[in-house]
Amino acid sequence: MPESLTGHLVVPVDDAEDAHATATALQAYAVEKVTAVHVVEKGGGSLDTIPLEQAEQRAEEAFEAFREVIPDANTELTYHTDVVEGVFEVATDREATAIAFHPRGGGRLTQFLSGDTALRLITESDRPVIALPEQPDE
Amino acid sequence: MSGSEQELARDLGFLEAYTIGLGTMIGAGIFVLPSIAAEAAGPAAMVSFALGGVVSLLAALSLSELATGMPKAGGSYYYVNRALGPFFGSIVGWGMWAGLTFASAFYMLGFGQYLLPLLTPHVDILAEMTGIGKTVAALGMAALLTGVNYYGVKETGDLQNVIVITLVVLIVGFLSLGLLSGPTIGEFNPEGWPAVAATVGTVYVSFIGFEVIATSAEEIKNPSRNLPLAMIAAVVTPTILYVGVMFVSTGTIPLDVLADSEVPVKIVAEDILPGFASVVPGVSPSLLAAAGGTVMILGAVLATISSANASILSAARVNFAMGRDKILVDWLNEVHDRFRTPYRAITVTGIITLVLIAVGVGIGTLAEVASFMYLVTYSLVHVAVVVLRRANPDAYDPSFRIPSVLYPVVPILGAAACLGVLVQMSTNVVPYTLATAGLSLTFPFQLTVVGTIGIVLIAFGVAWYYLYARERAPAMSLVGEAIAPETATAADSDDVYRVVVSVANPDTERDLLRKAAASAHAHDGEAEIVAVNVIEVPDQTSLAQDLTFEEERVDRQRELLAAARDVAADLDVGLRTRAIVGRDAASAVLNVVEEENADQVLLGWTGRRSRREHVLGSTIDPIVGHASCDVTLVKRGPEPDECEDVMVLVGEGPHAPVATRRAAEYVAATENASLTLVNVQPPAEDEGDAAEPVETGEALIENVIERASVTETAYETRVVVDADTEEAILEAATAYDTICVGATRESAVTQALFGSLPEQLGAELDRTVVVARGSERSPMSIRDALIKRLEG
Repeated sequence: MPESLTGHLVVPVDDAEDAHATATALQAYAVEKVTAVHVVEKGGGSLDTIPLEQAEQRAEEAFEAFREVIPDANTELTYHTDVVEGVFEVATDREATAIAFHPRGGGRLTQFLSGDTALRLITESDRPVIALPEQPDE
Repeated sequence: MSGSEQELARDLGFLEAYTIGLGTMIGAGIFVLPSIAAEAAGPAAMVSFALGGVVSLLAALSLSELATGMPKAGGSYYYVNRALGPFFGSIVGWGMWAGLTFASAFYMLGFGQYLLPLLTPHVDILAEMTGIGKTVAALGMAALLTGVNYYGVKETGDLQNVIVITLVVLIVGFLSLGLLSGPTIGEFNPEGWPAVAATVGTVYVSFIGFEVIATSAEEIKNPSRNLPLAMIAAVVTPTILYVGVMFVSTGTIPLDVLADSEVPVKIVAEDILPGFASVVPGVSPSLLAAAGGTVMILGAVLATISSANASILSAARVNFAMGRDKILVDWLNEVHDRFRTPYRAITVTGIITLVLIAVGVGIGTLAEVASFMYLVTYSLVHVAVVVLRRANPDAYDPSFRIPSVLYPVVPILGAAACLGVLVQMSTNVVPYTLATAGLSLTFPFQLTVVGTIGIVLIAFGVAWYYLYARERAPAMSLVGEAIAPETATAADSDDVYRVVVSVANPDTERDLLRKAAASAHAHDGEAEIVAVNVIEVPDQTSLAQDLTFEEERVDRQRELLAAARDVAADLDVGLRTRAIVGRDAASAVLNVVEEENADQVLLGWTGRRSRREHVLGSTIDPIVGHASCDVTLVKRGPEPDECEDVMVLVGEGPHAPVATRRAAEYVAATENASLTLVNVQPPAEDEGDAAEPVETGEALIENVIERASVTETAYETRVVVDADTEEAILEAATAYDTICVGATRESAVTQALFGSLPEQLGAELDRTVVVARGSERSPMSIRDALIKRLEG
């Protein structure tokens, strides 16, 4: 029997605002199981850009915002030197059927500076990747 | 969250922690300071560097203990604020920030001084203009670094390692060749020992970097071993290098030439290297000199950038910690939603650095002010160790302790050394006469420029505390407990078991009182309930004035309390009511708890975490954080049908016994109620040992029952074996009406967090959820402690 694409979605979220937007975009579709993932980016031997405590606090806020929209979502906090790889690792560990994400826009310069996460998610993934559409203004 | 993920958060081993520290320490100090130090103290400045190392080593020991005891962002600021209260917290917080910005400006000017000769090696006219040129270069680099940190352009650990290794190799090479060239020291101490002591202050800026290791404490693997080792190594290595560089420099170049140079290490290298031309065939001495000079310039550029970069990030950490403690507006700490950087804190730090460079206070003064602020900080850090050891709060359990032979010698000596250097660098022993209108006052000394700036910065911290922070920051200080550590566990003067109930909502009031009555009934002897309602009045209006306008609220209060009396009559328990008008509900309730000598305080809870500022609610947080008695939070679920099934979640948390006791009380007071103790265990790793987790769970439950001394209530036990603890708990809970759970985190230091699991249960379960916390000693004020001490 073919596997359902939306059997278990792993959904990367960043801050509360992004989590809310992602969850809202996802809400319109039937999904069996959702795990929201926040990757805390580590320096791996150099100073992190934000203190760990602040990063974890930010993750908590994001999960909270996500659960406000999708209350029964699972959440997973993980740490990695590379955000995209962190997402892939969780997807593999959790045996996710697909990864769904909400693109965050931004100009070319910002995409370049922050390393285009969306592009890498799509091109480097070993499982289906779903880009969630922009919501019409609520 | 599983264990392995936690491990990843701690990604710094000894080597990484050491290189982070070293990268920050081998900075402008080694490349710029030799000329400034040589001018001030001659070759004896070597002793100044060595003394700076000793002062830092003492601070490293104290910091290691504090950092393993409370690994929190903010480093020294956090420990001082926690131990000595927000007054000193403000001083240290602002002091560290100022120190880091002055240091960044110093590094950047050093960068400018070295960069210029690289750009203009043969053009004399440009070299003449170094004054402007170096400032422009410094401003440009500072702006660039601010930008890099704003955008969070990724610096990897590998890059950090490459920089540090390059620098160490470079300096070791410089030292070896320098020593081989046979340096000769002239007059060792031309300026006298007081100058040497004062020079410690000047060069101390090169030692402030090891703090960054303490700041990263929560990320270090096996911190009890790696943290102190990394700190000590990160102090000792540069100390040896600094002393060596000073020796080679003063031994190679005449003192006055060295003192006049802005690029001391470069000219020394140029002087040494031609001597080795015979060893390298085919290379002219002048080419070798030029190459050596250029390599040293590149090293200096690398080092100054690396130090300044770490300073800017460290400054943002101090800002974050201050914001968390409400000493500073949180606005500054907002994280950029795309770059994941605290962009506002970084921008503000960058701007101040630019201003400091542009103002032109002089590179020596910049270094000295940075040193001054850190010496103040470290002297308070030493005091904090002593205070924490004596007060010994529950949450302070450092995995590294200053060895007993060295305590309290290290903190006392350390604080004295810091103060000694501070006094030496900020005063000139020249009589100073203040004369106005015929009156003259003579001081035996006068303040140096650095002393003046330093005192102004401290005064700013003090003023900030009184004008801003005092109102907002929770007053916590362990100094009182340190003075009178043997706090007798609040000797209950009366034997009455008293439960304070905060009532605010007529719908939940009855249930809260019922729970309070259950606790009261369970205690032999006298018991009573005190129902409190607080009317909060905004700051602007006077207490009396507002009330006349708000008769409605007063009426409501009266009704609430009247209803409470009715409920109490039904429940057959003594009840007193207290109607209070106050600025802040939390402190009003805390006052009542104190005055009534309460044994338990009971609060209603919506079950929701509120965003940002408060975890469980503006009233609940401070009460959970500061009440000295048992605290119980109740989130009310739907009415149970007929019989009430109570479940207690038993784990290894410190408050599980209290939660069990509460549950037993509620069961005892209700007809047809049942009590079940539930524990969740992960499955055995070895498949054949399926019985093992059950046994572990049973043993745990038994232990908790014993500690809770619940003997009279019948109970059942249940061990659930499941890999996903949280899921299993949530699932098990659906079979019961009331879930009791102990607080999971100690609240003394983490301030008012009940822990993530209870919070999650409250948020997700459509059941009555009771979160219980046992009694805790609340911090004593200094005044109380002195009185206690004097009373003997």
